[in-house]
Amino acid sequence: MPLRGAGKQQKTVFELIIVRFFSVYYGVIEEGIGYMEPAGIRFIKKRDSRVVPFDITKIDEAIFRAARTQGGTDRTMSRALAEQVASMLAAERNETPDVEHVQDVVEKVLIENGHARTAKAYILYRNERTRVREMKTRLMNTLRDLSFTDAKDLDLKRENANIDGDTPMGTMLRYGSEAAKAFYKNYLLSPEHSRAHEEGDIHIHDLDFLSLTTTCCQIDIKKLFNGGFNTGHGFLREPNSIQCASALACIAIQSNQNDQHGGQSIPNFEYGLAPGVARSFIKNIDLALDMRDADEDFRSSVKAALSGFAFPTGEYASFRSILGEEGLAFVRSQLVKGIAAEEADRVVAKAVARTDKDTYQAMEGLLHNLNTMHSRAGAQVPFSSINYGTDTSAEGRMVIRNTLLAEDAGLGNGETPIFPIHIFKVREGYSFNPEDPNYDLFKLACRVSAKRLFPNFSFMEAPINREYLQGDDPDHEVAYMGCRTRVMANRYDKSRETTFGRGNLSFTTINLPRLGLKHRGDIEGFFEDLNKVIDLVFSQLLERFEIQSHKRCRNYPFLMGQGIWLDSDNLTSFDEVGEILKHGTLTTGFIGLAECLKALLGVHHGESAEAQELGLRIVRTIRERSDAQGEKTGLNFTVIATPAEGLAGRFVKYDRKLFGSIPGITDRDYYTNSFHIPVYFPITAFNKIRLEAPYHAFTNGGHISYVEVDGDPLNNLQAFEDIVKAMKEMGIGYGSINHPVDRDPVCGYTGIIGDVCPRCGRRDGEGIPLSTLKRLKGYVCDSRSSDERSESRDKIANIKL
Amino acid sequence: MIHCKSEMAAADADQILIGSNVKFERIRRITGYLVGTLDRFNNGKAAEERERVKHCSMDAWK
Ligand SMILES: [Zn+2]
Repeated sequence: MPLRGAGKQQKTVFELIIVRFFSVYYGVIEEGIGYMEPAGIRFIKKRDSRVVPFDITKIDEAIFRAARTQGGTDRTMSRALAEQVASMLAAERNETPDVEHVQDVVEKVLIENGHARTAKAYILYRNERTRVREMKTRLMNTLRDLSFTDAKDLDLKRENANIDGDTPMGTMLRYGSEAAKAFYKNYLLSPEHSRAHEEGDIHIHDLDFLSLTTTCCQIDIKKLFNGGFNTGHGFLREPNSIQCASALACIAIQSNQNDQHGGQSIPNFEYGLAPGVARSFIKNIDLALDMRDADEDFRSSVKAALSGFAFPTGEYASFRSILGEEGLAFVRSQLVKGIAAEEADRVVAKAVARTDKDTYQAMEGLLHNLNTMHSRAGAQVPFSSINYGTDTSAEGRMVIRNTLLAEDAGLGNGETPIFPIHIFKVREGYSFNPEDPNYDLFKLACRVSAKRLFPNFSFMEAPINREYLQGDDPDHEVAYMGCRTRVMANRYDKSRETTFGRGNLSFTTINLPRLGLKHRGDIEGFFEDLNKVIDLVFSQLLERFEIQSHKRCRNYPFLMGQGIWLDSDNLTSFDEVGEILKHGTLTTGFIGLAECLKALLGVHHGESAEAQELGLRIVRTIRERSDAQGEKTGLNFTVIATPAEGLAGRFVKYDRKLFGSIPGITDRDYYTNSFHIPVYFPITAFNKIRLEAPYHAFTNGGHISYVEVDGDPLNNLQAFEDIVKAMKEMGIGYGSINHPVDRDPVCGYTGIIGDVCPRCGRRDGEGIPLSTLKRLKGYVCDSRSSDERSESRDKIANIKL
Repeated sequence: MIHCKSEMAAADADQILIGSNVKFERIRRITGYLVGTLDRFNNGKAAEERERVKHCSMDAWK
């Protein structure tokens, strides 16, 4: 267990910082060589070309300090050595030597006088000082670019597409991020990790948060809402309606986003909101009775009976379905105690309809909120994801259906919502086969995805996900984090194999094409080197984990303070989080398998069966090493198919410098995403799915496969559904279908737009006469309230509840 | 955005041009997230999006 003695190792890191700071301080003195006048030399030239008076005491001081690190205390000696330096410089007859040269002479004098150890210390500090100076220059140049260059001209500002790099807060975030990275690279990371990252052997993700926090978490909202919670700015009671529950879900995502650097996801979206639907329903029954002037006592007895049925202990999480057949029969049995049977049926029907409408409005509000609310100094919309699909209760189904309908309708002007990422869980017996209770919702999910790109589809029966399923329990269904992250197995605590309350701690990606290029044609040499890089990544992940472990509960007021993270409810404010962080994952990623195979074999896995076999061997190797590391440490080491094309651009730039522009390998501006077949390579959808599926089984830290389709999939929903089914049959864990979604804000057309809008005929940026616009079919100045609009939407998709 | 009221009030609808300088929105999925404007992609991401080929057509079945 290398993690024992964690405190000791932390101290070492701390000491390292002290030593490195000292060297900076030392460098300041060193830099100040100048000022006093000796015989001979009168001036020296500084690095910035300024000429300043020469000062021998600065040299004396520098030598003395170097000697002192080696135990030296002799002031006279250092003065004598400094004078030797001065006279040696004078003898050179160069009137204004530069600082670098003066330092060379100091080294020479020290060595010639037998002070080898002091000379070594001096050289070491001098190098360190040079490094720090270069870093400062680089950082200042970066900050200057961030300040004065537009995002469109500066790649750095577009690193994260969800941050507008041109706004004040966006720029401030970038300043902080760049300064933090410079600090960690120079003072906190081990030099070997820092070097490997700088040179592009690996990429340490979210480096700017290295000492601050972890990546992401799956928020169990049902647990969070139970008994109410505190955002740190006030206590929020248990939600009393679906509108309230959905608003709290947004607040939970926003609050947690401020405690972590990655995304936030809800694994049990419909299960968590279903109790809110039941509470709205009970209210609506009461409202309907009130409209009928029912007796006060009767109303409160019905309310008490219904609440007792749906919430046996009174608490949110004790929910049991009341909108299903059994529940509604109970409701009727209570109502007929005070009103006629037909009247009771009308009350129930009215309350159900009203609750459905409330739920639609709540989901519409959720989408609007998640696309407009900001976190992180107001510069960023939270990266949110919601998983749903398998809850077959009437309440859960109502949530799923209305979430999909709200996504279908889009935002205020019909825009496609960017957030949250919707993930529809496909599971046999629940949401896949025509006889499944949620089959209608699966069909609806396909239709909405064909229009809006979301939902994505996760497959509960995929080889990698299947083993965890346990009956109806959503705790044991794999949930994904938006762009692909997955957490499930739990080596640290095998009795807690769930996605709820867990997430990734940090991840680091291996540059596979670099390794391939180093070992072209030499497979065994490649694997030898790959294993070394894997070792490096493991040690880096562990060092980062050490730093994360010493943070305290109070550093994460929401994530830990409100018990979101698994077992964090057992901590007090000043407890360290190390132990419970072991529920999280330490993840090794990889990128550019295709280019790597191209370097090793001349073909990628879309082109040859041999390459596919080697590709699988490479990813299997990473997985086996990761499992072994997990076994050794008791920690959750996992493997992720790295999503970032942005980082792929960074790697390829370095590799082109090292190896030149090589066709199919370094001649593009990006490396191919993880194990994907290259985007430029022509291949059928079914072959792409077939070749990528086996990699899903190895990448237990997350994966996704995409199929790109041409044309408007709304015209061919059967084909769309067939692709989703093919993904399921071939063992894909998580997948989605890409198609163009264009919109003309002027006439409101959504679909595919080439050069000319098919509805109004205008070109990009062109104006059209209002008269033309008014004549268009489907063009309306929509002055209706959102209530009226949601009503008309209900008519569009009339799916059986 | 269309500001209906003021536009309706205008005497001659033919004289009014709507949508000058309004660009089409093109939503694309990059690194798993949707982005509404291609301007905010960095160079590597933009290149990747540009070079994508389709794996099947939805129109062929119409
Ligand atoms: Zn148009």
